[in-house]
Parts: sequence; C-alpha cells; structure tokens
Amino acid sequence: MTLPRVPGGGSRRVVVAGMGSEDRRDDGAGREVVGRVAALAPEACDVGPAVDPLDLLGWWDGAELVIVVDAVRSGDRPGTVSVIELVPEVTPTNRGGPPARPPQTPASGLTSTHGIGLSGALRLARAIGSAPRRVVVVGIEGVDFGWGTGLSPTVSAAVPRAVDRVLGLIGEARSCA
Amino acid sequence: MTHGSGGNRTVRVDGLARVEGQGSLRVEISDGAVTDVALEIFEAPRYFEALLKGRGHTEAPDITARICGICPVAYQMTACAAIEDACSVAVDERIVALRRLLYCGEWIQSHALHVYLLHAPDFLGCADAVELAERDPVSVQRGLSLKRTGNLVMETIGGRSIHPVNVRTGGFYRAPSPESVAALAEPLRRARDAALDTVAWVAGFDYPDVEGDYRFVALRGGDRYPIESGWVGSSDGLDVSAAQFADLVVEEQVPRSTALQARLEGRDEYLTGPLARYALNEAVLPTIARQAASAAGLRSACRNPFRSIVVRSVELVFACDEALRLVASYEPPNPPSVDVSSHAGTGTGATEAPRGLLFHRYELDEQGVILQARIVPPTSQNQLTIEADLRRVVQGGLALSDNELTWRCEHAVRNHDPCISCAAHFLDVAVTRR
Repeated sequence: MTLPRVPGGGSRRVVVAGMGSEDRRDDGAGREVVGRVAALAPEACDVGPAVDPLDLLGWWDGAELVIVVDAVRSGDRPGTVSVIELVPEVTPTNRGGPPARPPQTPASGLTSTHGIGLSGALRLARAIGSAPRRVVVVGIEGVDFGWGTGLSPTVSAAVPRAVDRVLGLIGEARSCA
Repeated sequence: MTHGSGGNRTVRVDGLARVEGQGSLRVEISDGAVTDVALEIFEAPRYFEALLKGRGHTEAPDITARICGICPVAYQMTACAAIEDACSVAVDERIVALRRLLYCGEWIQSHALHVYLLHAPDFLGCADAVELAERDPVSVQRGLSLKRTGNLVMETIGGRSIHPVNVRTGGFYRAPSPESVAALAEPLRRARDAALDTVAWVAGFDYPDVEGDYRFVALRGGDRYPIESGWVGSSDGLDVSAAQFADLVVEEQVPRSTALQARLEGRDEYLTGPLARYALNEAVLPTIARQAASAAGLRSACRNPFRSIVVRSVELVFACDEALRLVASYEPPNPPSVDVSSHAGTGTGATEAPRGLLFHRYELDEQGVILQARIVPPTSQNQLTIEADLRRVVQGGLALSDNELTWRCEHAVRNHDPCISCAAHFLDVAVTRR
C-alpha cells in the first residue's frame, strides 16, 4: 500500500498510520479509523494506510509522535479500545558466529515472513538514528479475522471511540508544542 | 534445534511458517553420511490456479499479483505476457520499456530487502536485520534507502508499491507523465552509487568454499540482461521458447509435502535465479555492472551458492543502471495500452522474477474465460536444487556443532529463495543425534 510522501521531518510532526488488511474483516479496523481521522484532522497529521511496519521507516523519521492504529487480539472483550505505549524490547547484540538465540525468536519481533514487527521496526529505526520520539498503538480488539471485507458489528461500533482516542492523542501532542 | 550424538543425527526444521503456507526441513545423518534431505513447502500459489478458472482473461494480472507482496509485478508481467500470447497480441516498444522500468523497481526493492535485511545477517553472525542495524547502522541505512528507491519507481509507474494498480493486459491504464518519470533520475543515480557500495560491502564477507554442479536455467534476452521477456536457455544447451519450456517442466507431488517439485523432463533438477541469470547473461550486463562484478572477484559464472548475495548485488547495480537508461529514453505510450480482445487459445509467458524464472500458462475460451491456469514460481523450480545444496552443506559440515550446523542449513536455504529464506528466519530447527 502506498504511503504519502513525507512532507518534511519537523520535530513536532504527528504521524498516524493505519495497519492491517481490509480483506481480513476486523483487521481492516486500523485503516477505517485512519480514514475517518484524515477527514476530521486533515492538517494535523500525516495519514496513510500501511501493511508492513517496515513501510513506516522513512515515513516516520523524526516525528514527535507516531500513532499506529490496528486491530488486536489480546483476549479482551471484542470492541475494546486500548492505548499502548510501544517500548521495544532491548536484547543483547550477538558478537560474531552463528546467532546464539534460536532463530524462531528473532529480536525483530518477526510476525510475517517478509517483514518485521512494529517493535522490530522501531528498534531498527533507533539503530539507524531515524526513530520517532514516541510510538503509541491504538488497538481495537477484533473478533472476526476471517476472509472478506467489512468489520464485524462490534468492531464497527468501536471505531468512533478509537477515532476519539486518536484525535485526543493528536490534541495532546499539539498542546505540548 | 539439534539432537543426537555420534554418527547418527537428524536435523529437523519444523514449522517453516509463512503467510502463504507452511513447510519444514529434515536432514537424516547415519554413520556420518547424509541419507535423506527433505525440504517440505506448502505453497499457496497452487490455490490461485483454481481461483482463476472461470475468471475473465483481463483479471489474471490483478488476481495473480496477490500471490506475493514482494514480487507482485513479476506475477502481473508474466500474466500479461501469457494472456497476450493466448490472444495473439503484441504491445509496442514504449509499453515494453515502461513495463521493464516498473520491473526494475521491483528488482531494486526485492534485492535490497534480501541482501540487507534477510541474507547479510547470516554472514555477520546476526540473528536478524535489527541486530545488524545495531552493529552496522550505515550499511542498513543504505539498504533501506535502496529499497525506498525501488518502491518509488513502483509507485510512480504502478500507482503503488505493493500490488500496483496501473497494470492491465495490453499495457497500462495511464501513462505516467514525463515529469514524474524524469524525477526518478536523481534518486536512481544515488541508488546506483549505493548499489556499487553494496557490491563492495558483500565482497568482503567470508564465504564457505562450496560449489554446486548446477544446471542453470534462465531467460536469455538477446543484447540485454533478461527481465520481462526472452527465450529460455540453460547451461547445458537448452534454447527454447517459454511455451516449449513449459512443456518440458514436470511438476511432481511427493508424499511428504503438498508442494509441487519441478524438474526438467529428462534432465532432473535445475536452478533459476540470480546465479543462473548471471551465468547465462553476464556478457550483456552493462559495463558498470560487469566492472563491479569483476572487482568483487566474480568470473563469468558463479557456482558458490553463498556468493549469490554478490551476484544479487551486481544485479542491483544493473537494475538501477537499466532504470536510468529507461528513464532517460522515456516516451509515454499513447494510447497507454493496446486492446486485448478475447480469443480462444492457449498462451504462455515467462519473465525473470527477482528470485528466478516464473512462468504462467492460460487456456481461454472464445469469450476470454480462463479454462485452465498453470503458475510455476521459482520456488517450485528450485526446491530440488536447494535439497541438493543442503545435502552438500551437511555432508561438509558434520564436524560443526549442532547450533552451527543448523544455522548453516538455514543459511543454505536463504541463499536461493527469499520466499523460503525469510520464513527460515523463524524456523523451528531441530537436529537429532542418535
């Protein structure tokens, strides 16, 4: 999915990214939320859908705040909206030779075969000196991740609450400027 | 994970999980000799062949693009070639050039991803790209910059970098403006410099002294390095059309796997991908890429699978240079596509995906409805050769510790195919000694 061009790396920038696939039902919640945020706060942030956290590299460089909106599956009540501060796990760097850690548990937080997880993307960005100051995940507890488009009624009803949380976070960041 | 002791060991790699399917790896060692190697891959692209039946001929490029998020252009271009072959349609040179430019973008982003984020960590003792970035941020930054340039080319020509939306049978929905294409020149010049640095970087890695007796199979493109078209050649004298090649490829179901394994009728296993392309087409690389290859110690062919990262880097130089040539000579095709009217018949298309030869074959009825579809990706074609590599690597590495042997096996898989190799980054590996 194409992301919008980075319009300059101002230190007060707030970036909002919707993650997930619209073809997997509730997994499209992040993109639905971001679409509504774009309509309500078009000047306040850079908004774009993304599939792979790796796509965020370059786009979020130097931002004050990055808000990633995504469907989650944590065992909580479906439709629950949660806000999670992303703190990447710090693991010791291996020095030479084959990796000591079993390859199935890489530091990148690998969740797919071709990309790296959000935590891994943030760690990578920090390593190369281009990380945003703060990354927050706004999660919506999904219930249906099957094939097809369209959110479940429970998640659909939660979308306005998630939009409010995102707008609130944007407002807080702006008021601190 | 490795278990066992003495001369009897079993190397198991379970759960070769990836979005498209599952697979595993098992190596049996008895009395110090490798007795069995099984690479088991379950490939989702098979389902697409059934999905395509009953769909319109113009839908094939967009449907098949969904097979892969890394090389959607390869599927689109190959589907277009096969459908146009079935409908006896030829596109004009400007459309061919624009397709080639789009494909260059995919090569750049895919090769940069594999070289920097998937393959290089193996050589530098890193578990993954994050660990590599922590140790060598400048290099990873360079790789990410290259990848972004590839994405930029795909966005400019294709409308977006993943599953481009501007491709159709017969050409494109819209020709990009000359200004937007010209704007690619400066990023591509920087990318070409970065690609040259990449070749020098990987040339300094330590490589196991291993060579395979490969049967290389790749497109041959006449006076240009092959990407979007060509005849199929091999290192043992094959010189056939895509349609003839498709007739020669035999796909077999083996009991241990839902994956199909391809072999050449009467010739057995073969290898596609960068090593094969380079071996059969080195002479037509542009001077800048040939010089980079020579400086990195490559001769006219490379049979060390671990050095595929060097060849892939040389192809990065080529792809950037070729994209620059195409940008400089760009003329918007007008109209941006030619009519591909429905036509009963069978068509075959073959192109060079970043990781190897990809071919499609479609049978259409007079309304253009797809009656049969056959899609053979590089992964299927390389499976038997990867198993042969593993056998060689294990036999030569029996003295290695369990951890090192398992790691070397995964590395051997990653040498050839990102679709497997990226999954291999989280394989559950088990080596059992008995």
